[in-house]
Amino acid sequence: MTFTDVRRLELDADTADVALAMDEDAFRAFYDRTSGALWGYLSRISGDRQVADDLLQESYYRLLKCGMAFESEVHRRNYLYRIATNLVRDTKRGPRPVFDSGVEMADVPAPEGRASAEQRADVRRALGRMKPRERALLWLAYAHGSSHSEIADVLGLKTGSIKLLLFRARRKLAATLQR
Amino acid sequence: MNPQDPRDSEHSSSAALDETQIEAIVAEAIATEAALARSEAAPPSSAIVWWRAQMRARQEAAAAADRPISIVHGLAIACGVGLALSLIGTTLAGVRGSAGWLTEVYTSLSAAVASVDLTSRWVMLPMTAMLASIVIASIAAYIIFADE
Repeated sequence: MTFTDVRRLELDADTADVALAMDEDAFRAFYDRTSGALWGYLSRISGDRQVADDLLQESYYRLLKCGMAFESEVHRRNYLYRIATNLVRDTKRGPRPVFDSGVEMADVPAPEGRASAEQRADVRRALGRMKPRERALLWLAYAHGSSHSEIADVLGLKTGSIKLLLFRARRKLAATLQR
Repeated sequence: MNPQDPRDSEHSSSAALDETQIEAIVAEAIATEAALARSEAAPPSSAIVWWRAQMRARQEAAAAADRPISIVHGLAIACGVGLALSLIGTTLAGVRGSAGWLTEVYTSLSAAVASVDLTSRWVMLPMTAMLASIVIASIAAYIIFADE
């Protein structure tokens, strides 16, 4: 390989068209529709806002790089959530500031017409005691309104097991809230 | 999603009253937390995320393209080192075998050099040209490889 060949290869690498799964306009529209909800999912499942910030971008990047042809917006969104779920699973962090701190609660303005600060603190504590998979199950079912098959697809579980897992997760959360 | 949502029926157990109550409690709790999450969420703009993805994809493409180049560089260096070592070995063996002959050559060369008039233009001109070409070649090599 000559010096010219090496230079040519390097220049090719610099100017290479990057193969991403969506064009810019489609990506930006999809991102604007989904990023807020995905951030909420990531922050509640991981229990860490910083992790949510990091994993949000990583999730979209992996979606762009996956090279899959999606049948529909729902299919793409479910795949995005599956990526995000796997990233959370792979992230090992100690503290969980989203659920631990009452001080942080006071920093966030309460949504209007919602529960009192004390009730919200109870919910957070209860969610903090649950496993990430249980939180993911409940979040997808009740915050996103996902069907059992969608939940199974996102979490990599069998559709038939979702009903029982949700039942148990509901019981656990309700029991913790009732204490 | 709230307990009245038709999709919610999938999540209901077939269901005694207490399970319905549990479902209502959980739905309310998650709805509260989801509303809070929505108010907290401040994801970066889509333009920034797109730009970062482009940059990262380019860097990864460049790194992938550099990989075979690095392998070729490594092979070339290894071949060069091998060649140089074999040449040194051959030369040393030859030198050992012909030390006497070299001494004679050195003596005759010394005599010849001593007889040459270094101030002669037939000697000065080629030597100057040789020196100039060495300097120019060094500068050219530096310029070519400076950005590597």
